[in-house]
Amino acid sequence: MEKLLTADIVVMIDEMAKLIIEKEVEFCELDSFAGDGDFGMSLAKGFRQLKLEWEELPQEDIGEFLKACGMVIIEHCGGASGPIWGSAFRSAAKYAKGKTELSGLELAGLLENAVEGIQKRGGAKLGDKTLLDALIPAAEAQRKSAESGDALLISMRKGAEAAVQGAEHTKDIIASKGRASYVGERSLSHPDAGATAIGILFTGIVDRMQQ
Amino acid sequence: MKKIINAPEDVVVQMIEGMVLAHPELLEWNRKYKIITRKELNPDKVTLISGGGSGHEPAHGGYVGKGMLDAAVCGDVFASPSTIQVYNAITKTASSQGTLLIIKNYSGDCMNFDAAAEMAFEDDDITVEKVYVNDDVSVADDASTAGRRGVAGTVFVHKIAGAAAERGDTLPEVKSIAEKTVRNVRSIGFALTSCTVPAKGSPTFALGEDEIEFGVGIHGEPGIAREKLVPADELAAKALQALLADMPVNPEEEVALMINGFGATPLQELYILNRSVSLLLEEAKIRVYRTFVGNYMSAIDMAGASVTLLKLDDELKQALDYSAETAAYRC
Repeated sequence: MEKLLTADIVVMIDEMAKLIIEKEVEFCELDSFAGDGDFGMSLAKGFRQLKLEWEELPQEDIGEFLKACGMVIIEHCGGASGPIWGSAFRSAAKYAKGKTELSGLELAGLLENAVEGIQKRGGAKLGDKTLLDALIPAAEAQRKSAESGDALLISMRKGAEAAVQGAEHTKDIIASKGRASYVGERSLSHPDAGATAIGILFTGIVDRMQQ
Repeated sequence: MKKIINAPEDVVVQMIEGMVLAHPELLEWNRKYKIITRKELNPDKVTLISGGGSGHEPAHGGYVGKGMLDAAVCGDVFASPSTIQVYNAITKTASSQGTLLIIKNYSGDCMNFDAAAEMAFEDDDITVEKVYVNDDVSVADDASTAGRRGVAGTVFVHKIAGAAAERGDTLPEVKSIAEKTVRNVRSIGFALTSCTVPAKGSPTFALGEDEIEFGVGIHGEPGIAREKLVPADELAAKALQALLADMPVNPEEEVALMINGFGATPLQELYILNRSVSLLLEEAKIRVYRTFVGNYMSAIDMAGASVTLLKLDDELKQALDYSAETAAYRC
């Protein structure tokens, strides 16, 4: 496997939706230590709707597909998840506009665009104890690995591992964004729910692609 | 979990439907986007929209009506409404005078209301202004947090901005008096028990029989400290101390006082708390211009209360006294 085709991206998002729906309660519990426990529910609501509309989503190219996903997510994910995940998808879609395949390097570019979209909407940066603490290292690892000539799946595996590690590191950070920021030091020793979810999702997606 | 509901997933829609059925002369609603609007919209006044997660009833639908809000957008329990919901509320209630969004300062609400305002301006040429309410003194007001939370003080912002809009003020004027209200309002709350989110089915946090969470948020977010429950007089002193340390009020200055129940505390206790707070204010020679006791901004079924002080001048007093006709606030 040299490149991800549109059909591969569709499978990857399908896996993402499947995991988000399966892990709704687990993600809520992650959020309940420092947040208000609605993360899993808000996210699952949008991705459940995405699955309902699955057959109608355009699949001509990667950009169109991701953009349509982003619109459903913005409309149906509750709380902060709608604008955060929605802007990530829409921003990634802009990068992939007209593309029907992505190299490992282009996948890194797509993730970097998603990061940019989230930052534009929510104003968070690395180290604020948000999902960016998993997503930014994942994009970096993906780029480094692809640049060093690793095969596509190896670079994706390295990206997922970086996401898991990044999420793990959020345990040592006191939150300064979102509702977890209200509890100050009480957010220590609990990883950020969004970052943890990114680690779990990316790992699950690479597992599925390897099958 | 023991609740009078049919199914957790129907809670928000059936709550809205029930509220509108109780006040058919005042309210209408849109099922798809969960928007509660005034039955008769005035196309020539500034439109006021608020909203947020559900679970704070009567906020915000209870404040829709003459002299207060034109629309309330209802998210899921404790979760912001989506950008698309807010956008639809803006376009459905647009007037010739522009729209003011009153947003409680939470990351999700800010992102969704901001994005919706951008969309309405770019796609529909609707002028939209925003104010962010951040009255909860239990949260540090610096870069270490997402900023202070908007809690019960939001009701005063609805009331005062609502009066300004109703009497025909322009959008910049309405925004300006709303911001003045935000600058002069402070709240602090404490929980005696947790709330239970219907979809989760179990309490959000655990408190010992003799414990309170001082500084709790209206979603059951942890507060400043977990402490032993003390008598009402001591609780009142502690709450007032926190408020006045943040916003000094001089002797002979006037305030509006709100004793707000979080949902499961009986009026009996709220009145006892009001007695304690009022006596302390009298001692400090701070004049209480008007008092509000009741469930104004609840946290589903949490037991506990918050104390809100709004520092008043003649302009704010006049707006506070302006007539309002809504489900939960009349004067």
